[in-house]
Amino acid sequence: MKAPFSPYLDALAPGMKALADILGRSFDYVSILSTDSVGFTVSISQRSKRVTGTNMTTERGNVVRVWRNGQYSEYAFNEVSGSIEELAETIRKELDRQFAVLALTGTKAFDTPILADEPLELFVEKETERLPEQEDMAALVERFTGLSARGMETIPRALDCLLNASSTHICKMFLTKNRFLRQSYVYTEGSCAAYAPNDAGEIKFAYNGVSGCCGPEVLEGLKKVVEELPKTMEEMLASEKIVPGEYEIITDPGISGLIAHEAFGHGVEMDMFVKKRALGAEYIGKRVGSDLCTMHEGALCEESVTAYAFDDEGTLAGDVTEIDHGILKTGICDALAALRLGTVPTGNGKRENFAHKAYTRMTNTIFDSGDSTFEEMVASVKHGYLLRGTESGMEDPKHWGIQCIIARGYEIKDGAFTGKVVSPVVMTGYVPDLLGGICMASRDRKVDGNGGCGKGHKEWVKVADGGPYLKTKARLG
Amino acid sequence: MLNRILEQIKALGCTIWELKETTTRSWEFYFIRHELDQNRVTEVKTFGVTLYRPLEGGLLGSASGELSPTASEAEIKKTLSDIYFQASLVKNPAYRLNDKPVASPELKDVDVAAIAKEFITAMSQVHETETEDINSYEIFVKEITRHYRNSNGVESTVRYPSSMIEVILNARSGEHEIELYRCFRSGTCDAEKLCRDTEKALRYAKDRLVTEPTPKLNTFDVLFSTSDAVQIYEYFSDKMSADMIFRKLSDWEPGKAIAENMTGDRITMKAVSALENSSSDYPIDEEGAAIRDRVLIRSGVAENIWGHRQFCQYLGAEDSSIVRNLVVEGGARSEEEIRRGDYLEVVEYSSFQVDAMGGDIAGEIRLGYLHQNGQVRIVCGGSVTGQMAEVIPTMEFSAETEQYNNFVIPRVTRLKNLKITGIA
Repeated sequence: MKAPFSPYLDALAPGMKALADILGRSFDYVSILSTDSVGFTVSISQRSKRVTGTNMTTERGNVVRVWRNGQYSEYAFNEVSGSIEELAETIRKELDRQFAVLALTGTKAFDTPILADEPLELFVEKETERLPEQEDMAALVERFTGLSARGMETIPRALDCLLNASSTHICKMFLTKNRFLRQSYVYTEGSCAAYAPNDAGEIKFAYNGVSGCCGPEVLEGLKKVVEELPKTMEEMLASEKIVPGEYEIITDPGISGLIAHEAFGHGVEMDMFVKKRALGAEYIGKRVGSDLCTMHEGALCEESVTAYAFDDEGTLAGDVTEIDHGILKTGICDALAALRLGTVPTGNGKRENFAHKAYTRMTNTIFDSGDSTFEEMVASVKHGYLLRGTESGMEDPKHWGIQCIIARGYEIKDGAFTGKVVSPVVMTGYVPDLLGGICMASRDRKVDGNGGCGKGHKEWVKVADGGPYLKTKARLG
Repeated sequence: MLNRILEQIKALGCTIWELKETTTRSWEFYFIRHELDQNRVTEVKTFGVTLYRPLEGGLLGSASGELSPTASEAEIKKTLSDIYFQASLVKNPAYRLNDKPVASPELKDVDVAAIAKEFITAMSQVHETETEDINSYEIFVKEITRHYRNSNGVESTVRYPSSMIEVILNARSGEHEIELYRCFRSGTCDAEKLCRDTEKALRYAKDRLVTEPTPKLNTFDVLFSTSDAVQIYEYFSDKMSADMIFRKLSDWEPGKAIAENMTGDRITMKAVSALENSSSDYPIDEEGAAIRDRVLIRSGVAENIWGHRQFCQYLGAEDSSIVRNLVVEGGARSEEEIRRGDYLEVVEYSSFQVDAMGGDIAGEIRLGYLHQNGQVRIVCGGSVTGQMAEVIPTMEFSAETEQYNNFVIPRVTRLKNLKITGIA
């Protein structure tokens, strides 16, 4: 079935068009993004249960962007209590109050050209099997309750087993004088997490998930996740501390994705180029990785949790080759950064929600596959680790440092697993060394869309990343 | 809108409910160098609803949702009906909503324009040089009004300012340029502190230009003297939260020592209702309960838990609340005494983390001062790792304290024998 576009937004459209027209008398450019995204979150464990109709992407509201005299301003709101004329007047007055403060403080504008407004109409309703707003919640809660109980039976020493899921039916409408874009799609993610004490009393955590640009049907996959978790927990409970040092590593697709995201994903967000905050700007056309290193980015790359048709600034989704056989080709760009850099936007202008500013943000960030088998890769390792289980990562676009906190490492000696597992693993290093060291990549690849991504320490959005198994070298601690 | 929601709740036959109306007015200014990238205004209102229903076996069902102020009658009816049905699926042990009336404090409007102006002016007054300067910054000033109402007749409103400024700093030497990141949160603008902290960070930025690779140190004492230390103390407050204890993620128990054989400083941590210029300076929590000052940990012994009513009641703590402001008492020694002998003072991590569940400590070193054999070396690279359970017995912290938004903590904290992965 098609995910139907929001009737609320359809009804709102004439009013927002009128608002754009009225504001157009005072400003040279006006755009309005309106959102109406519904969904749910379900969390079921042995200790507590929760169902709510909200999650990180549910929202209903509007953001108006205007341009005058080289300056962009925005007004976000979610209440329309009077007429459209009164709303326009409120927006003008409130922005004028800000301009007065800026004048008092002698603030100059970062002069930016006006956005183009080429005519375009788009209406996209993506396929989904089910809708979150129509999901049989009784059946979902019952299934999760059963899976949690199953996890408690099978996962060693489990203190609890938490099933978590969220699903959102995203509906967004973008309009200007010449543009009218509407899109509707569903994404869903789910996970199972268990925790248990090891012999020393330290709590160990085992986790895995499913996700996709689809309805809650993807949550059926959690049964397999629950079946696999006991083995992961056994490994975590028996894990030791790693001896710090530099090792050969094989990253599983999840960790390959984490590296793609942290190493060059953030490093080529081109709003950082405008601020001269990214070293990548100086390396376009230069080598930053080995020949086996090719990386794509874009909402069109994969039908994941972030596979939209247009971004939050009304730019159509793209597929950018950022690194081609080790050579940095280009970055990704929101609309305003593109104007400032004299380039074209790539469909990566994203907001946490309607009330937040748009920044250049990642969508799907993915390494291309290679031609090795996983077995060949393991056989080639003298002493190192297979790294698996994302905990967190941190970008460093200015200096190309990288920090990834990884759940566990499986020791490999002389081409075979020793059975020893280390946890946690902090991988640090210099990005070109890490990517330059990629000497093998597997034929398969996988993309994961669980969790979110911040810019600095805020502005959380959905992203997905992945790739094949990669072999390189890194410092582990 | 509230009345429309209440009418529908009544029509459903629901007798136990909570409503939370939150209005956020925000002024935002984004700067590149000192030029305005963008200015923004937001006016956002949300209505949070939680409906409860008693279930068989002494259980209580609950589910929640959010309504937009533009929701139609039909949407309100459907949303509430869905929530009420979902409440029958979510079977938790019973607990009671707050039934103690609490007086709302006097509501004062927050002058977001004046506060924003102070931030802009303060940033223009930071002393920059040709080689150390501000790259960019983002200013967020909010007035938050939170109205709470429940089926026990408890009703209250709080209004408070909440501000944040994110600052990116550069230092350069010839072609070599480095960057530091700072995020300052507060109630309103403390211009003097903002300038002082930003200029201190600029000095760190200058030092980062001349670092050498961190040597292999195996285990070493690590000193925390920046806001990263808040992560360490959040571990203690997390361990005392009812949510964590009920979920068996914490085995800390009132009346019991938090560690054995404590030879260092023993922590005393208090939750406080009022903390000047905290972005959480309000006397009533999100569940309508009065926030009272209480000791969470006294001299290394757990004393009071805190948290959501549901989990507090499960653990027999009837008179608790959610807390946001925490004060850690200073230790026995001065900062100077803590800074003795050999230690690594890391003032910049890429992202310092203390895992609340397992207690794992981890961070990549971006700038550190290695005090060893009477000499100080400026280092970068490698990582710090450790385990809270292993360092609590011997940790030391200064008598002097420092406020970081909603936390007052010792100015310097020394964790002994952390693992250092060097790169030299």
